[in-house]
Amino acid sequence: MIEVKEVSKGFGRKKVLNGVSFTAEKGKITSLIGINGVGKTTIMKAIMNLIPINRGEIFIDGEKLSEKSYEKITFIPDAITLLPQMRIGEAFIFMADFYDSWNEERANELLQFFKLKKSDRISELSKGNTAKVNLLLGLALDVDYILMDEPFSGIDIFSREQIANVFTSHLIEDRGVIITTHEINDIEHLIDKVVLLDNGVVLKEFETEEVRENEGKSVIDVMREVYRA
Amino acid sequence: MDVKFNNRDPVYVQVIRHFKEQIAKGIFEPGQEIPSRRELANQLKINPNTVQRAYKEMEEQGLIFTEGNLPSRISKDELVLKSVREELIIEAVETFVYSVRSINVPLQEALNLVKDKYEGEKQ
Amino acid sequence: MNRYLKLVNFEFNRFFKVYLALIGITILSQLIGVFYEAGNYVSKANHSIYNQLMSKSDFITQYQPMSLVRIIIGTPWFIGPIVFSVAVLLIYVFFIWYRDWLGKNTFSYRLLMLPTARINIYLAKATTILLFVFGLVALQLLLFISECWILQWMVPNEFRIDNSITEIINSEYLFRVLFPRSFLEFLLTYAIGITAVFMIFTAILFERSYRIKGIIFGIIYVFLSIVIFFVPILLQVFIFKNYFYPVELFFMEVVTGLIVLTGAIWIGNYLIKNKVMA
Repeated sequence: MIEVKEVSKGFGRKKVLNGVSFTAEKGKITSLIGINGVGKTTIMKAIMNLIPINRGEIFIDGEKLSEKSYEKITFIPDAITLLPQMRIGEAFIFMADFYDSWNEERANELLQFFKLKKSDRISELSKGNTAKVNLLLGLALDVDYILMDEPFSGIDIFSREQIANVFTSHLIEDRGVIITTHEINDIEHLIDKVVLLDNGVVLKEFETEEVRENEGKSVIDVMREVYRA
Repeated sequence: MDVKFNNRDPVYVQVIRHFKEQIAKGIFEPGQEIPSRRELANQLKINPNTVQRAYKEMEEQGLIFTEGNLPSRISKDELVLKSVREELIIEAVETFVYSVRSINVPLQEALNLVKDKYEGEKQ
Repeated sequence: MNRYLKLVNFEFNRFFKVYLALIGITILSQLIGVFYEAGNYVSKANHSIYNQLMSKSDFITQYQPMSLVRIIIGTPWFIGPIVFSVAVLLIYVFFIWYRDWLGKNTFSYRLLMLPTARINIYLAKATTILLFVFGLVALQLLLFISECWILQWMVPNEFRIDNSITEIINSEYLFRVLFPRSFLEFLLTYAIGITAVFMIFTAILFERSYRIKGIIFGIIYVFLSIVIFFVPILLQVFIFKNYFYPVELFFMEVVTGLIVLTGAIWIGNYLIKNKVMA
């Protein structure tokens, strides 16, 4: 379980996170929802220790993040993390070199699934294909938790569908996923849990099936209620 | 398999309903093997946890059964299958009656219209 | 350790093409310099002796004999590429960090998310810079030797002075710094160089951690480091007025140098581990 406890973070005078708390369980897909600039990405970077936080604590399976954690949790930002001049094959070698959790077999499977070639140079890929390679590099790690920042933003509809298919496959199964989005439509039926954010605070945290069952509301219904209030 | 889900009813409930419809229509036959949790999630583009929940519920209702490590199957129990069909019919009729009643249509008129429409559409 | 070496290998490869270009420019410029200057000299000698009927000794008194030192001091063929290489490497001390942060892709994320102590990234980058420096220094020594041979082959004995490596190194201040005469001097020069690289790295990490405020922190940090380093000398000059023996002063300098070096790595480690922003 990933536990975010009372986390605050400011850049200069601007408070981006103001006491954010929520949890994300293993085996579940948790979605952080909010308009742009509410600190979704900042939360992910804080979990990964890519930015320091001012207050609060973050635990992964009860432990604070350490260098070993990067074999257990990974972050897929909205831009690819390997060098543009690399070919996909070279990116694979880099990952295999540094990560014990790199699963070459799964990487090749994903390569086929996304119809990409090892000889493709990263800088020459289309936007959709770049997003797929980026996703692949994270998914091919045998990690328990995956954080994805806006995996659907700015890419074509077919790539979106392909990426959405990943969520229902064995590639995600049993892992804990946190995904940020400002567009819920693509994934409404895929997610287990929603954390609604605004102005650096958590407005509501709920299980999607529970609100459908108990209140007969869709995720969008809840969002309307919460953001209008 | 293509199912259109709405966003307000629990997805697992909609999955169960889909199964009941298939059983009532006879598309799922007694004892027929059903897709695994992951296969179904993939086909329907929904969360595997949701499918899991639907299967658990259906198992409890006796709609499906699992023996050991084998894939789950549709129930062979005639009684259960029959009741599924009845349940769906009653549900449909109830919805119909509710909407017809709300605009004050006399029973006989409604029945005649139903008869005409039903047979007309069949041809 | 394993991942540290892999990082060094990775960093090395990333700059290798530019490095090869530097090596190429250096070799080319110096060889062209030797061939061109020596060729010119010889043809001038031929012209003077055979056409203007000047005697050999007159020519040598008038034009001075040819030597490598003469080319090194008198022309830009040698100093030019070395100054250029030094400048490129100095820029790369900064660029080796900023290319990861400011490049098109977010490679800094990947580096910081590697399952290894982050100080390894810092140390690997420093190691890479040092390897490049030592590589060029070694290359230059080999070049001196081969250039002596070329000169011997092109210019006849009586028109030539053969310089020893020591003479060549002493001919130019830059060479005296790059090729210290004693082992102790070598250690000192390069220890100061290494410390300076670490200091700059840590200053860069201040900037990468606190951005605009970090530039100020970085400048203060560098200033303090330099002050600490020079404390013994400052004491000697301003307070105790030649109270210490040179040996004492030397050892105090070694100690403050070590303090500055460990300080740089310790603060660098703290920043990259806890404060840096991807």
